[in-house]
Amino acid sequence: MKITKRDIVIGLLVLSALVALRVFWPTAKAEKIASPIAKATPIDSTVCIAPTEYMRSHHMQLLNEWRNTGARDSRPYVTADGKKFQKSLDTCLGCHSSNTYFCISCHQYANAKPTCWNCHLSPLDKP
Amino acid sequence: MNEERREFIKKTSIGFLAGIGVSSGLFLNFLLEKTDASLWSDKNIAGTTRWGMLIDMRKCIDGCQKCVDACRLAHNVPDFGNATHQIAWLQKSPYREVFPTSGEDFAGKERTGKSVPSLCNHCADPPCASACPTQATFKRFDGIVALDYHRCTGCRSCMASCPYGAISFNWKEPRPAIKAINDIYPTREMGVVEKCNFCSERLLKGKLPACVESCPEKTLTFGNLNDPKSEIRLLLEKNQTMQRKPELGTLPSVFYII
Ligand code: SF4
Ligand code: SF4
Repeated sequence: MKITKRDIVIGLLVLSALVALRVFWPTAKAEKIASPIAKATPIDSTVCIAPTEYMRSHHMQLLNEWRNTGARDSRPYVTADGKKFQKSLDTCLGCHSSNTYFCISCHQYANAKPTCWNCHLSPLDKP
Repeated sequence: MNEERREFIKKTSIGFLAGIGVSSGLFLNFLLEKTDASLWSDKNIAGTTRWGMLIDMRKCIDGCQKCVDACRLAHNVPDFGNATHQIAWLQKSPYREVFPTSGEDFAGKERTGKSVPSLCNHCADPPCASACPTQATFKRFDGIVALDYHRCTGCRSCMASCPYGAISFNWKEPRPAIKAINDIYPTREMGVVEKCNFCSERLLKGKLPACVESCPEKTLTFGNLNDPKSEIRLLLEKNQTMQRKPELGTLPSVFYII
């Protein structure tokens, strides 16, 4: 798609209007609930399970291990420094889905086509 | 600056602006629930827990579908709207279909006229788990007969071996047939089976199964069959209950009061 100057100007106007609305409208707080079940409760984890460098190069191996053992052995995954995590893709997405393009931006660049999203809802699929 | 480079910079800045949107809270974060790590034990000792359910048909309202709907929503169960492709984890079926061998062929309507919630019985000796060639269906340490969708090859041996018809097969891509997507549970894909998981994902968060929680009449009681002091055990002690097709020796963990 070719992006013209007009598109950019309109896009910027819309975005700034939305940001202004969000910032200055007190009742616009995150009250929306995507489904009757999902209540906006704190997300699972606030720290990454391994250093960023390691996760960047090895997340697929870790996730593969979690996939193979997660359902069968529901005990938590324990990191080297003793932190515990549920072996679930949602553990990762609890933080990383705040960026809708977190997974797809690299995967697309690397032409990686993981099958995760056949069943799991990717940040892009979320309502 | 060549054309492609211009396009690239434009598109990247759109991504950057989207980032500003995220940080200002314009786009919602995932609505994920916190998992309470204290509910996990590091040693899952087989035998301490056997989850079970008691369904009190004296309380169940005919025509009510609240539990079925709650289950559909909780697990993104698709609804294809026809019997051939039907997928159900929990459904209400005519009494005679749920208890075909109970010897009540000529019993009165007031006993056999209702439709009865039926689901996977989480059998203590599950034929489905024995039949599965990939061990995708297996019995967990807490008695739940679980299904690891990652391992399922879609051979449907489990469906053939389950005497209760508790397992459904995805003949078609399920996602388009899901009315309301619940974003805290995955969907399945075409070519795998699916069935009730006793809400193991909710148990992990210290909650009761969705059907139990949704029933306004408290028809469903959920609890640990191996704990003699649990509510379900006390009810089982005091009432006359029955299981589905007990003569098959699958030892169902779902009990009924009629
Ligand atoms: S009811 Fe069917 S699917 Fe459920 S454990 Fe028993 S045999 Fe397996
Ligand atoms: S359909 Fe899937 S779960 Fe059922 S027996 Fe075959 S591989 Fe196992």
